[in-house]
Formats: sequence, structure tokens, C-alpha cells
Amino acid sequence: MSNTLRPYLNAVRATLTAALTLENFSSQVVERHNKPEIEAATSPEVLLHPLIVSRNESERVLIEPSVNSLRLSIAIKQADEIEKILCHKFTRFMMMRAEGFVILRRKPLPGYDISFLITNFHSESMLKHKLVDFIIQFMEDVDKEISEMKLSLNARARIVAESYLATFA
Amino acid sequence: MILLESHSIIIQDVLTDRFEKPSRMDIQFVDFDHVRFHLSTGESKTQVTLSMGIHCWPDLLKYGAREHLQNEYAGMLLDPSQTEPEYDVSIVIDLEKIPSSQEERTALIHKLSLFKATAMSAPFLAAFEEESALEANYKDPAGASQIDVEQSVDAGELKIVRYREEEAMYIQARHDRVTVIFSTVFKEETDRVYGRVFLQEFVDARRLQSLQSAPQVNYSNREPPLEIRHLPGLKNGEDCGYVTFVLSKRHFANPTQAQSTILRIQLFRDYLHYHIKCSKAYMHSRMRYRVAEFLKVLNRAKPEVAVVERRTATGRTFRTR
Repeated sequence: MSNTLRPYLNAVRATLTAALTLENFSSQVVERHNKPEIEAATSPEVLLHPLIVSRNESERVLIEPSVNSLRLSIAIKQADEIEKILCHKFTRFMMMRAEGFVILRRKPLPGYDISFLITNFHSESMLKHKLVDFIIQFMEDVDKEISEMKLSLNARARIVAESYLATFA
Repeated sequence: MILLESHSIIIQDVLTDRFEKPSRMDIQFVDFDHVRFHLSTGESKTQVTLSMGIHCWPDLLKYGAREHLQNEYAGMLLDPSQTEPEYDVSIVIDLEKIPSSQEERTALIHKLSLFKATAMSAPFLAAFEEESALEANYKDPAGASQIDVEQSVDAGELKIVRYREEEAMYIQARHDRVTVIFSTVFKEETDRVYGRVFLQEFVDARRLQSLQSAPQVNYSNREPPLEIRHLPGLKNGEDCGYVTFVLSKRHFANPTQAQSTILRIQLFRDYLHYHIKCSKAYMHSRMRYRVAEFLKVLNRAKPEVAVVERRTATGRTFRTR
């Protein structure tokens, strides 16, 4: 792991752990409703300060906490056109399976590639530190996966070109 | 399976079977580039008709495809008037007149299964002939600089084969080489990006020592190459690419070499697109696996509910059905 990735992930982990102090909170606007306040945004007094942890220009994490929910958006590194496409395909593939990933948001926030929405119900039914582990592992693996996919595409292209041209020789 | 095969496996299988024991059939099938085949028996079981509908038939006719087929399938090719309706060319095989030895039969079946490839090879053969004619007439412009020599003098006719609706193949002979240009359209953004990776590798692969004798490959997207830039109706959008193969003398020095070169180069477009699709499928299966792994990690966050056996006061157990 490169030496800038470690502090970046540590910062995200610490921020996320601190922000994951969620409690049950019914809507102040509509009676008998219980909504993630960060999404509904009907009462500004229950929203906390959003925070951006940024590794470089293209890689950053936005954490938006509120009283009963937390939204975490990740911008994934995309160096070139291939990585852009692979990243887009991969995140889309995951978001189409959002029911399986209970904390995944179906759409990313504008400017980010993938978003998670953790409500107090999730943090009550699941272990908090394991949730944080999941997010961190996701961030680690998604970069690895995209660069591996890119390498395999290049390797395949090379083999394909060589075996085609070799038939002429 | 990395390389695609030039022959039609269906023709091969069906004919191998029917040569042994003739029976009635009526089979319609397709090949690359919207080529349609119809394999049927007429009044008698032993008269097998093989018809082909091919998109670029008018182009192929212009470059002597019928004459070439006539040579290859002597005595089997039907006249244009007898060709099956809705198809472009038909051959008829009389199962009573086929050779008796196994080897000859296999050779004949192989030749028949290359029906499409044979039809498509006519413009290439014409270009190769033109090249030798040009070479014979070519005088080295000693003393005169290259700029003085008019380009058009030493270039052969530009042959255009529109093998798909939006894609075409351009073949031109020069005094020392034959240039084959493919125009190809990438329907999707992903295909375009993948296609560029693949084509770049085709250009780079030639640097290898072992591939020095392979034809030179050039690739450009958006802008058509100079040889065909004057043609009307060329597309130059983001989604199309032009691939140029420069075949030098040694790629068609003798008939067998020429034959194998033609068979290979015909399938270039299909080969490229086939591998682009394969890569996409591979990426997809990888993503499936990776997402399943992520799901496992997330599920670890859910605390396990300890399953304890519940009993009634008398000691009986519950059983869920």
C-alpha cells in the first residue's frame, strides 16, 4: 500500500467512526414519519457540518452527518478514459444491486461516483466497527479492482494482436 | 479459442453427414457480416443446393467474384438465372457424383465450407494481380525526386467492398504493396474505448522481433487515411475508426500464402469485435465476483443471532416445518 493511502484511509476511518453516532429521530415536520434527515433536509437544525477528506484532486470522500443518518460519498480515481469507463460500469453494477447492499444509495451525489446512506436503523442492526471496516475495505478494493481490470484488458489486447499478426508471419 | 475460423462449421458438419447418407433438409443459417445461407434439397435427396445472400454482392461482382467462384466450384455453380430467389449465388452438389475416397471428400467439404471466404477473396486476388502488373511496369525514377512522380500512375484501382451497412473495406494495389483499409463503427462508448486499446496493441505488436514480418498496421480514428480521403460519404465521427494493413510482397508471394493471408484479413473486423465483446463479458463476470465478495464483507457486520433450542416445560422441542 502506498504511503499516502494509509493516512487517507485512517482519516476516513476516524471521521466515519466519530460521525456514526446516530439515534432514532422522528420527523419534526410530518407527524408519525421517520426519515433520514440528511436526505429529507426539512429541519436544518439537525444537520451537522459536512466534511471532506481528500487524498488528491480526484480522490476524496464527503461525509455528511445528521442526527439520524449519515451520507458518505466517494470519488474514485480515474486517470484515463478506460478507468473512467470501468469505474462507471463497476459502480453502476453495484448500485443496481442496492437492495443487497442495504446501506448503498441508488444514485451517487453529483460530483461523486458512489454514495452510501447509513441510518440509525442500520447502525442499530449492524456492528458499527464492522460497518466502518466495510467502507474502508470497499475503498481499498475498488481501486485495486479497477487497475486489475485495466491490466487484464491490456494483456488481452496484446495477446489478441500478437496471435493475429503471428499468423501472417 | 483466440483465432476465428474462416470456414463455416455448419456447412462442414451438415455436408459431412449428408455425404454419408443423403436425406432431405432445409436449413437456413447465418455467418459473420449478415451473410445468409440456405442449404436445401430439391426434388431428389441427392441434389443439395447451397445458396448464399451476401451484403456486398454487387461490389464483389464488379471485382470478378463470379469468375473466381466459377473456377473454384467448377460444374457446381448455378447461372444467375437459376440462382435461388432472395439469395445472390447458388451452387448445387450432386451427391451421386461426389468422389468416393474419404480424403477427396474431406477436401471437397472443406472447399465448400469456405464458400463465403472464397466469394470475398475475389477483390483481394484482383488487387494482388494488379500489384504484379504495376511492379512489372514500374520504373525506378532514378534522378527524379519522388515528388515528381505522379502518385496516380503507380496506384491501382481503389476497390471498395461494403461488407456491412456502415462499414467498408478498401483495397488498393501499389507497385510494391497492397493496402487494405477497414472502416469500422463502434456502436457504444465502451466499445470505442476498448477498440482503441486493442488497435493500439495491433500497432505496437509489430515492434516485437518475432512479428517483424507481419503486415504493418496503422490506426486512426475520426480522420480517414489519405488513400481514401477523397471518397464521398465517409464518416468521420468519434465512433468510427480506420485500420490500415500494408501487405508487402511476401504476404502473397505464392498462392498458398496469398490464400491464407486473404482468409485472415477478411476476418479482421469480426476478430476485433469478437474480442471486444469477450472482454466485456469477462469484465462483467469479474464484477459479479467482486460484488459478491463485498456483500460478504457487509454481511459480516450483521451480528449473528445465536440459535438456541427452545423447549417446553415438559421437555419437548419445537420443530419448524
